[in-house]
Amino acid sequence: MNPTQEHWLQVDNYLSKLRKSLPHMPVEDREEIVREISAHIRECTQEPHNSIDNTLKRLGSPERLASRYGHDRLMRRASRGFSPVLILRVTLALARRGAEGFALFLGALVGYGMGGGLVLTAILKPIFPRNVGLWMGPGVFDFGFHVPRYSDPVHEVLGHWYIPIALGVGYFFIWLTTSGIRWYLRRTRQRGPLFTGRGLVQTV
Amino acid sequence: MKLKTEPVDLEKNQSAERWEQQMRKGALEMAALASLWSGQLYGLEIIRRFEDSSQLAVAEGTIYPILARLKSEGLLASEWVEAEAGHPRKYYWLTSAGRTRLQHMAGTWTEFSRELARLIKPVITAQKEKEEEVTK
Repeated sequence: MNPTQEHWLQVDNYLSKLRKSLPHMPVEDREEIVREISAHIRECTQEPHNSIDNTLKRLGSPERLASRYGHDRLMRRASRGFSPVLILRVTLALARRGAEGFALFLGALVGYGMGGGLVLTAILKPIFPRNVGLWMGPGVFDFGFHVPRYSDPVHEVLGHWYIPIALGVGYFFIWLTTSGIRWYLRRTRQRGPLFTGRGLVQTV
Repeated sequence: MKLKTEPVDLEKNQSAERWEQQMRKGALEMAALASLWSGQLYGLEIIRRFEDSSQLAVAEGTIYPILARLKSEGLLASEWVEAEAGHPRKYYWLTSAGRTRLQHMAGTWTEFSRELARLIKPVITAQKEKEEEVTK
């Protein structure tokens, strides 16, 4: 079937939506994707018994197609990078896909929360020396930022040593969380193609 | 009574479908690499190769992100080539890393499927016997 002007407008509209749905991507990569999908549609129109309607249907919605590219790209960047923000974005995306992803997201929140919290208290120690520290005594082991609330025999034990120790332990937590999640992403590197009930391979 | 059993059946079907989806999911990357073993192909040719030589009916929107991922991992290379069709085609081919990976995948797959076939042999035999009884 020869495509009509209306069909080509439909294709233009599809490609335009695809382009708009790939915002977090370098222009060069985005245009490469659009060019390839455009070539694919043109190729399909030259096949007998194939139509633009059918081709677009089999490509799926432009938003969903873009999300497949975007998800893969995000996973790849996160599995290679060290940015906690990127790691949190990926784990949040995975959390929406199932229990395993949700557990990973919680792990990331706890790990970064503890690490970030310790680093923050190390920064605050010189400003609030009496409120930040590690307090120990009979039945007491407490650290972080507090309004002064302990009296003898409980006392703060680290003094200004709190700063390097909290920085070290905090960064260790951040490193451990990042490395653990990167390892997980590299190991699984999935959430890709799936078969639908009708036998067509689709991506979740 | 029927109303109570239907959702359970539906749940079972969905669960079986999910399992099948997961199983096939892992194979598609290998299939994409394998389709390029003999030489370079462009996207639609890869899709048609799947359809011609296997049971893999692939939705077009799935294969291109996979090809992009394999390329970013250095397993595939690609180049735009002007075609007689009047528009350029993006051809893909295996890099040496891609060939090595595919050989490793093929070996693992063969060994795994052989072990699994041995394990499920009694199930298949029982199923055949049941079918024969029904036809009698």
